[in-house]
Amino acid sequence: MSDGIVARLRASLDRPADFGEVLAGDWGAATAAELARRPVLVTGNGAASLGDLFEVKGSPAGRIRLQGDLSNATRLGAGLAGGEVIVEGSVGADAGLGMSGGTIDIRGDAGPRAGGAAPEARRGMTGGELIVRGNAGAEAGSRMRRGLLAVGGDTAPLAGVGTLAGTIVVMGDAGASAGLWSKRGTIVALGKVAIPSTYRYACTYRPTILRLTLARLGKRFGLGVEDRHVSGLYHRYSGDLADLGKGEILAWTAA
Amino acid sequence: MNIRGVFIEDTFAEAFTMRVARLVITGRNLRWAREAALKLTGFATSVIGCKCEAGIERELAPAETPDGRPGLSVLLMTMSKDDLPKRLIERVGQTVLTCPTTACYDGLPDAPDRVGVGSALRFFGDGFQASKVIGGERFWRIPVMEGEFLVQEKFGMVKGVGGGNFLMLARSADEALAAAEAAVEAMSSRTGVILPFPGGVVRSGSKVGSRRIKSMIASTNDAFCPTLRAITRSELPDGINSVLEIVINGTDAESIAGAMRAGIDAACREGIVSITAGNYGGKLGPHHFHLRKIMAGDTPA
Repeated sequence: MSDGIVARLRASLDRPADFGEVLAGDWGAATAAELARRPVLVTGNGAASLGDLFEVKGSPAGRIRLQGDLSNATRLGAGLAGGEVIVEGSVGADAGLGMSGGTIDIRGDAGPRAGGAAPEARRGMTGGELIVRGNAGAEAGSRMRRGLLAVGGDTAPLAGVGTLAGTIVVMGDAGASAGLWSKRGTIVALGKVAIPSTYRYACTYRPTILRLTLARLGKRFGLGVEDRHVSGLYHRYSGDLADLGKGEILAWTAA
Repeated sequence: MNIRGVFIEDTFAEAFTMRVARLVITGRNLRWAREAALKLTGFATSVIGCKCEAGIERELAPAETPDGRPGLSVLLMTMSKDDLPKRLIERVGQTVLTCPTTACYDGLPDAPDRVGVGSALRFFGDGFQASKVIGGERFWRIPVMEGEFLVQEKFGMVKGVGGGNFLMLARSADEALAAAEAAVEAMSSRTGVILPFPGGVVRSGSKVGSRRIKSMIASTNDAFCPTLRAITRSELPDGINSVLEIVINGTDAESIAGAMRAGIDAACREGIVSITAGNYGGKLGPHHFHLRKIMAGDTPA
């Protein structure tokens, strides 16, 4: 079986570049040459192609591995509908913006709005799985509708702001105002979390669904899921009661 | 054919195509998973009176279950594919949803035919239910007084086989029971097989129809009843005073044949005179399990 496409950054990206078109549509069957022709908008330089910035090799297998520091790459995997994207480093803002399927596995940090919504969009990601093994910037999973966003490190403020549904797992500490204006979404906080004042405590219990969610993160993505989190107790807070109030923050507790 | 002095009749068990679902029931510990599984598979011996046939397939270690808790796999079977979701919804709703700590998952994830179970049971949540999609599968979280009941939205359905059987003809009731217990022990916990009757054993084998009541679809198998030997056309040789039957259902004919082979071998013991099987002349059921071929190691067609 092919390892898919490998794209290695030729030189450091020293200014923001919009990768929103690189993995748009049905990219999984595209050859290395076809993907190399996809456009990237580099701030100040105008249109370039992926092949100008990356050495693109391999054969199509619905999988692409991006190598190099992509901290200046914005909208990487925006609108992703399928396939597997592995980023061996950090990415900039808006990774997986409005994605609807497939997986993005970011081995470093992600900038603001990972899995979130474009400013003009009503919904953030509507499906698929977005893994950020490092930290995630502000508004991760904003207005998310479906899917799974897992952050191995900490999240900046406003993770899951305005979520319509979907699940955000924060394995580190959640920044301020997580889950604000959530309608139905789930935020799973394995580290510290400040519960917004518009959430109300419901109970302390063992949600069976989290055993499946965490098992998925451990088995499929190799995230370091600890047994105390799998079998442990969680405080359930319902909210945002300033909105629909069917969302929840499940905060792990050692007690 | 003789096995340790037990005569194996040259006959076959006639079995039918059924629809099967495999349920994985987990719990906080095996005790509670078993409580739910026992209730779910209760009163599910025969489609004649129970609308479905069900049994515990085997215990599952935590590593084998979706949520990493101890569990049991259960097979539930019906004659028609329309019946299967009805029975699943009734039984999961009444016996697993109600049972403390348990959750219920599909055990046939590769089956292309899917029937809705959680998608119907979710309405018990009265609008407070929530769903999550994990790995492409949807699960429903139904709030209950204990906490939450988790059930998978859809369950796989495949064609299976129901009605594999053999009969142990014994000199005494005690010896028939001992042989049946040994056979059940040898046939239990095999993947793809259930024994839907009490303790895996049937004492009341039936024949099609009734001599006296036309509306009855089954009545006692008088030809194998020792007490009727003198007044009916008995099939029992001299010296037989008790007969017990084991009925085997499964996901496929090969699994059933393997279980029958193990069960018959275990049943060939002191006090058993012969082993035979029930059939309808081969005209009703498409699956024929020839006892001698099975004991010779042949795989059924």
